[in-house]
Amino acid sequence: MDLFLQRIFDGLSNGATYALLAMALVMIFKATTLINFAQGEFAMFGGFIVLVLATEQGIPMWGAVVLGMLISAVLAAVIERTLIRPFDPADHLPLVIITLGLFLAINAIAGIVWRFDPRAFPELFPSGKAFNIAGATLSWYTIFTLITILVVAGGLTLLLNKTKIGLAFRAVSSNLESSELAGIKVGPTLQFGWAIAAAVGTLGVAVFVASPFRQLEPQVMVTGLIFAVSAAALGGLDSLGGAILGGLAIGLVQSIAVPYLGVPTELSLLAAVVVLLLVLLFKPSGLFGTPQVERV
Amino acid sequence: MGKFQLTKGTSAYTIYKWAGIVLLLLIVFIAAFAFNDTGKISVLDNDYKIGLTRITKAISFMVAILGLQVVAGFTGQLSLGQGFFFGTGAYMSAYLVADHQWPWFLTLVVVVPACFVMGLLFGIPALKIKGLYLALVTLGLAAIFPSLILLDVLEPYTNGAAGKIVDSDLLPPEWMPLDGISTGLQRIPLVGRYFGDGDLSNKQEQRIWTFFLMAILAAICFKMVSNLVSSRPGRAIRAVRDNETSAAVNGIGLSYHKTMSFGVASALGGVGGMIYVAELGIASQGDFTQLLSILFIVGLVVGGVGTLSGAVIGGLVIAFVPEWASSTQNLPGVPERWLDGPTGGFILGIGLIVLTFVLPGGIISGVRKLKARVVQVLPAPIPLPEAASVET
Repeated sequence: MDLFLQRIFDGLSNGATYALLAMALVMIFKATTLINFAQGEFAMFGGFIVLVLATEQGIPMWGAVVLGMLISAVLAAVIERTLIRPFDPADHLPLVIITLGLFLAINAIAGIVWRFDPRAFPELFPSGKAFNIAGATLSWYTIFTLITILVVAGGLTLLLNKTKIGLAFRAVSSNLESSELAGIKVGPTLQFGWAIAAAVGTLGVAVFVASPFRQLEPQVMVTGLIFAVSAAALGGLDSLGGAILGGLAIGLVQSIAVPYLGVPTELSLLAAVVVLLLVLLFKPSGLFGTPQVERV
Repeated sequence: MGKFQLTKGTSAYTIYKWAGIVLLLLIVFIAAFAFNDTGKISVLDNDYKIGLTRITKAISFMVAILGLQVVAGFTGQLSLGQGFFFGTGAYMSAYLVADHQWPWFLTLVVVVPACFVMGLLFGIPALKIKGLYLALVTLGLAAIFPSLILLDVLEPYTNGAAGKIVDSDLLPPEWMPLDGISTGLQRIPLVGRYFGDGDLSNKQEQRIWTFFLMAILAAICFKMVSNLVSSRPGRAIRAVRDNETSAAVNGIGLSYHKTMSFGVASALGGVGGMIYVAELGIASQGDFTQLLSILFIVGLVVGGVGTLSGAVIGGLVIAFVPEWASSTQNLPGVPERWLDGPTGGFILGIGLIVLTFVLPGGIISGVRKLKARVVQVLPAPIPLPEAASVET
């Protein structure tokens, strides 16, 4: 029983990162039905910015995280303006190619600038165990990651529902052409979506590598993106709440189903891909997403 | 500048076409002997190697990208999973050659059908999953390949993380006068010194022979795909790409053509993998990550989506650019610190983005535009219908 609980806790803390990255993917998908294949690399880059700010500039950790989120948001906004906006949002192929190019380029830049040796990340949360429940330890790290995703989800909900730009964003995601006719500036609104997504992704990576068992290196999100994508698809690609549940579910599948089904640990990624495949085959809109109607 | 005008079907056009083919063969032939293992270009104190082994590696990528042309270029199904089939083909033929002493080319008898069937199986979900979602699933497929190789169950066949070493070489048969040709080329005045010095070593002979065989294999693959594309199924898959609904309305079986094109693409991926491992002599899981699949997409786009010659250029680009980028150690104005590391990935990524902006049709469309300035090929004149006998 204690092992089972322990695995649930581990799964939740992994899932929290997938949830954050999945929320970043959802922010962009909601608005443009585009999947940003470079989202994981954006986040990894943001993680390095946080690390540099905290260790080389001596900024307190949480300040560095907030500053890192801001910087990556600005970078993403610049990328959106220069590389994404010139293309027709309805034609996906060039956009996918651009995001793949960004994937390669950002990964390479990080490799050139920061090299491939893993780096320890400063502590973000108090270390040690918080509680012992039936023999399983619930660490502060797990508790705080869960709190983080709740705070982020709450913040995003407020942002989308209570602010003017949030309203514009919802209008654009519901109908791009009508919102343009209603006088909403579509470009800057989508840019806002990209910026928020990059900031959330950066937080996700910061939380991920803040675990005492992980380190930051340029390849950290290469497979993380696959987990995040299947989390987002499971929850429904246009649902923020779905992304959280999807992320936690994928984390739990990874930590519970994989050991109990006797699947070797190397195949936890396979579990994520199978979940993705099954969701897309049988319920393409995911658990909480809006079904897409195709018009001819 | 005057334009040469050629009309299809005339003898001038035939000569033009054959001149192109002969030129290509000549390049292949010269490349084999000139760039054997010492070929390099020096620019600004950087040595860029053009070894024959790299060209053979480029051929393996060309065949894999050719497969992508079928599924992504002509059928319009964006697949990011070509690396999976490339790796599968590589490991299968490595296993058959190393553990069962099969000759390299016989392994194709197993690799091609196996990859074809696997491709069909993956084509089935592709029927329901479209566009971006398909890209996601296939990217996942490519991402799990290295971990599949490490599975304990497959360990006896794949040799796990250490990589499967194959030390069976393609040796030229006794009657093949490679050495004589090389000596002959060296005796040509003026250019002879570019063809090396003295007799070919066994290693060199084996490289040249491997290159020739693989170039022929690739040529067969290209010819087959070119026939496929210009035949009825080829027109059908292009119709599927351009407008699925109208293709279906015109009686084209969507599921049949999509799954088949996945199968063909995967089989070509497997052939590419076999070429790769036959040249390299080792199959290791670290080579077949999702990065490889993304590189194939880079090759597809940089060469030119939906063109066969684009696959040739794409293969050369993804085989040479990373190597050359990492051998660039001196650039005026750029500190050495920035030239160390994955500069190849950076150049390919930026190149991909820049090309999407300036030349969406890939390098091949640029080449065609340039060529169109010099040579103009006119379609064969349609014979005028005989004076219609209108019955009154």
